[in-house]
Amino acid sequence: MEREHQRCYIYAPPATEERPLKRQRTSKFNPQAQLPERLSTFRHIWSQQEERIKATLEEADSSTQERIVNFVAASAQSTGESQGAIPTGLIVAGPSIASHGPFFERLGRRIRDRTSCTYVVLTSGESLNLKTFLKNVIKKVTSRVDDDDDDDLGRTPASSRKGPKLLDFDLGHVQEWQKKNRVESIVVVIQDSEAFDTGILVEIVNLFHSWLDRLPFILLFGIATSAESFEDRLSGHSLRYLEGQKFDVTQSDEIIEKLFRVTVAMTDIPLWIGPNLSRRMLDRQRDHVQNVQDFVDGLKYAYMSHFYASYPTIILKEDLAFKDLPSDAFEAVRNLPSFRVWIEELLDQRRASDVRQLLDDDQYLFEGIVEYVEECRKALSTLSQAARALACIRESLQMSPHVHLSTIWTRAASGELLATPLLRETMLSIKKTPSNKLVQLLVSMMDSDGEAFPIDITAFQRELADLIKDNASSAPLRSQDDVRSDSLRTTVVAQKVLLSKHKAALSEQDKAYSDLIGRFHDGLEAYFSSAFMDPRTLFLSEIVMHDLKSPHTEVFQPKPRFAIERALACPHDYLGCDCCSGQQNEDSALSTTQPATAILYQLYLESGAFINAADLWSAFNAVVGNEEKEEEEESKTMALFQRALAELKYLGLVKPTRKKTDHVAKMMWKGL
Amino acid sequence: MASAKRKRSDDDAEDATPRKLRARPPQDDTFGEQEADEIQTPSRRKRGQQAAEIGTPRSILKKTGLANGINGTTPKSHRKLVFETPTKSVERATPNGTPTIVRNADRSARRKSNRRLIERTMNGAESDEEALDEEEELAERILSDEDGEQDDTQAAAEEDVPAPETPSKRGRGRPKGSGKKGRPPKQRSPTPPQELPPHEEYFWQNRPGGTKTSNNTLPPQILLNHDEYFQAMQTYQDRHESEMKFLLELHSRAYDQWIFELEEGFNLCLYGYGSKRPITEQFTAHLYRHLVNQKPYKGTKKTPKVVVINGYATGTTLKDILTIVASAVVPTSIKLPNQLNSLLAFILEYLSENPPSHPIPIVLNSIDSPYLRKSPVPAMLATLAAHPSVNLICTADTPNFPLLWDVGLKSQYKFLFHDATTFAPYDAEIDVVETVNELLGRSGRRIGGRDGVGFVLRSLPENARKLFRILVTDQLALLFMDEGGQDEEDSARTPSSKYARTKNTISDSTQGIEYGMLYRKAMEALVCTSEMGFRTLLKEFHDHQMIESTKDAMGTERLWAPFRQEELEGLAEDLSGDAL
Repeated sequence: MEREHQRCYIYAPPATEERPLKRQRTSKFNPQAQLPERLSTFRHIWSQQEERIKATLEEADSSTQERIVNFVAASAQSTGESQGAIPTGLIVAGPSIASHGPFFERLGRRIRDRTSCTYVVLTSGESLNLKTFLKNVIKKVTSRVDDDDDDDLGRTPASSRKGPKLLDFDLGHVQEWQKKNRVESIVVVIQDSEAFDTGILVEIVNLFHSWLDRLPFILLFGIATSAESFEDRLSGHSLRYLEGQKFDVTQSDEIIEKLFRVTVAMTDIPLWIGPNLSRRMLDRQRDHVQNVQDFVDGLKYAYMSHFYASYPTIILKEDLAFKDLPSDAFEAVRNLPSFRVWIEELLDQRRASDVRQLLDDDQYLFEGIVEYVEECRKALSTLSQAARALACIRESLQMSPHVHLSTIWTRAASGELLATPLLRETMLSIKKTPSNKLVQLLVSMMDSDGEAFPIDITAFQRELADLIKDNASSAPLRSQDDVRSDSLRTTVVAQKVLLSKHKAALSEQDKAYSDLIGRFHDGLEAYFSSAFMDPRTLFLSEIVMHDLKSPHTEVFQPKPRFAIERALACPHDYLGCDCCSGQQNEDSALSTTQPATAILYQLYLESGAFINAADLWSAFNAVVGNEEKEEEEESKTMALFQRALAELKYLGLVKPTRKKTDHVAKMMWKGL
Repeated sequence: MASAKRKRSDDDAEDATPRKLRARPPQDDTFGEQEADEIQTPSRRKRGQQAAEIGTPRSILKKTGLANGINGTTPKSHRKLVFETPTKSVERATPNGTPTIVRNADRSARRKSNRRLIERTMNGAESDEEALDEEEELAERILSDEDGEQDDTQAAAEEDVPAPETPSKRGRGRPKGSGKKGRPPKQRSPTPPQELPPHEEYFWQNRPGGTKTSNNTLPPQILLNHDEYFQAMQTYQDRHESEMKFLLELHSRAYDQWIFELEEGFNLCLYGYGSKRPITEQFTAHLYRHLVNQKPYKGTKKTPKVVVINGYATGTTLKDILTIVASAVVPTSIKLPNQLNSLLAFILEYLSENPPSHPIPIVLNSIDSPYLRKSPVPAMLATLAAHPSVNLICTADTPNFPLLWDVGLKSQYKFLFHDATTFAPYDAEIDVVETVNELLGRSGRRIGGRDGVGFVLRSLPENARKLFRILVTDQLALLFMDEGGQDEEDSARTPSSKYARTKNTISDSTQGIEYGMLYRKAMEALVCTSEMGFRTLLKEFHDHQMIESTKDAMGTERLWAPFRQEELEGLAEDLSGDAL
């Protein structure tokens, strides 16, 4: 009890308490029974995903980083010669500031590995003025090699030996350190250049330039807006001291698109994220966070909750054997909604004996499970493949509204893609594709999906190559549906204009080409219509595809203010008590029985921007207090009032005001 | 406006499940009996009030007038009378589906109110009272325009009767015990219009004129002091104890899940109303037991180290936090760096180089406490929490705590949020008596009021007493000026109150004595000869919490003694009478 007012301590359990763990209860059904197995399955599956994510992230900005490292290395070499200007990298890292930190951290690692430069990152938070900025630079540069304590001890005598003592923001410290360590160059990163005061930036540039003959500085600016606007902020005078090069970093939405491609819209993964959840995650990325790490976390949490909360997920275990499963697992499977759908389907087909067996025989059900998990996965993987193919087609045909794979996939997975104009339009434009574009299309489809594709692309490629070889003219082959082979003819007959469409005569090759593209089109169409089914109709789809928004939204997008307002405005929602439901008497939402703070809060809601505490008290007393005015009773009510008022203050709902005596100012309005 | 649409929405409300209804009323009644209600034409009232019956035509006025002619004073009648009069028409002039006569009546009412509004705006802001009167007059006129029935005007007038010039909760006359007798406390309060877009809702809730409050003050001795408070609280038994226990038990079912989430590298943040200390306490114990049964500890004497930090405790600093974390991480033989930044870097480096067998759990109560809000702290905490060998479990009390962190910090924290509403009192977090005193500007009570000050002053030199006397008398003079302004305002129902009001607002912002002024006066009174001396004297007062200072909007420092008027008067008396 003493502890609650202590600032911090290391927890020690109460000495006497050695009671057995609570969880050794002997209840018949333990929902956590198979938890370790499920969790190990989770870890196994997630580790595969993590690999993919890591590889994607590495690859995503490696080329930019490579260029920056080369730039730094090159500048480090040349600093000796040209003293005219500070080599400067303008790194346009995009508006998602959350990813800047990790980016510069990775960059730092790379630069330190590859060159013999020191690398320090400065943020606006630690650089309020030039002095603190320099102090931080010095601290970071010099402690990079020296140990922290040495640096305190070592520096002071060194400077006192050489005449006047250096102030702690004098770059002379760095010079001394440079004499000892001889680094090639000192890379100073200004991570959030927009947040720096322009004056400070100018001063930094000028100062660094004046030290350039003694200290080999390289500046890197992280820019969230554009290099132009950065340039506008600096005066021409200081710009002359910089010798800049611009680097564009891959934007986070592109990276997320890539991540989505490898983690969700993927063919050979054991568990998918459902369309609703993925739409939610993508929307959140687009509208709020724009942060790659957050996307990964969201994905991970979805996997976690899938395995943690759902008992039947045990069947996703690799090399599942019948004996691994307790009968509870089968019971759980039998309770799935999709099981019911399946059973109803079977009944419609009048296979009652199968149904009976599924309901009674675990072994039989097990076989069904194994089969259907496989089938479900196959369906989802075909769907993903088809979505990728569709995205690939649209991209290589350069169709105008650019639709991301993530969008296509989520729509496909919710089973609504087949009837959309999106698909129709794509299929139509395939029909019209001239041969030169078709070649590219086939190549890119080949690249993206390769042999696994059910349509034999190589055969088409061969055939097309033959046709093109035979084509004498330089113009590409056209199909019969191509608009350009139509021509409009106007004829005037009896003073009426007749418009008639005419197919231009198709050459032999064009005809052959039309035939080829027709077959290609039909093949694709059949493929798409079989692949884009609603995966949620399949038995066990909720096991293979996690699509619950419930824990996900609350955990990542909490509404704390709403929660508190709700708790205070209708405490019954949380307490569930009989006394203050407010139902029996609709009019008096404000019942005596509610917690004091809730009552006071509801009175608070009724008031304007200023509240008279005396009136608040009398209102409160009227609601809570006892009619027979006992002294003790009133002081108790007062105590409650004071506590409630103090809580409102603590929650930041009221603040003192000096406008009037005994008044408080209202700080928050409900539901805004 | 009682268009078909409107009615339908009312129908919907009625049809809703009981649960919904239950959840709703408090929302409806968000806004209370305030001045601005007065400003509304009565027709505006109760719009959207679900309790009113469905589908009454717009001419409900007539009906209610007849129905409630006899007992027009009952709350019921007001509710009805008030409901479904041409509410929306003021804002959205889209009469559709209403009978023509009614619409015309509407229109005329609307036109008039609009004209009035425009006139008023043109003439500049007038005082609230005037606006109030005007509106009431207008309301009456509209009512009589519409049906010319006596009882309606009467009803409108009756509405005014219980609302005296100070329409605060009390003023509106919620008689003692009325809450119990089933007389709905809020039946006079018109519900705010519902389903407004957020910005509109903001302006609705902040409408001008809503700030009118009475001049009542709390009797000086009514607030309890520490002893009385604790005595009163000791005998108090919360009637929801069992429900609160149940809530806690509900949360405790999630402990294993939380541990799993921590193991997967997330950090936890618990929010919701009520102190979350009971939860963190239990969870810490749970986590401890969990860890003790894990590998490096099982069967050995070694125990895991769980760091607990009470962010709400006065004066908690980052230094404390880092030091305790370091003590859990780093063996005692190693000397720790002194500087905060390097200490943090050192801890992180040590953790990276010697990763512990499990992440170090850090339980941080009230991460949003005022002591941990300022600039470098959240960033450094985030850096600490971002390390894979650190598990942060924190609680946040205020409703807007996510604003503490920008996107970058948030991604570093890697929080999973859980609603942990407990309804438990914030016993440790808040010093109730102190907070309320401060809130009501009575922090002077801290040193024991007049007697305490006297005691302190007696021990101080003559000059200090003189200085304090100057401060107190000046402050009193200011207060009297204010008072005059306010009295004038109260008595004046004429436009002259405008003057009083402005004057009052000016003096609002200029509470206390300017530093420079006080210094000059002190010099003139030969209390001190230099600013140095002046400062020394002030410091003594500060130390005894006899004065407070603040910077106003212009950046000038202002000083005042944190006492209420009566106490100041007493003090002035003591000081001048040289009783000290």
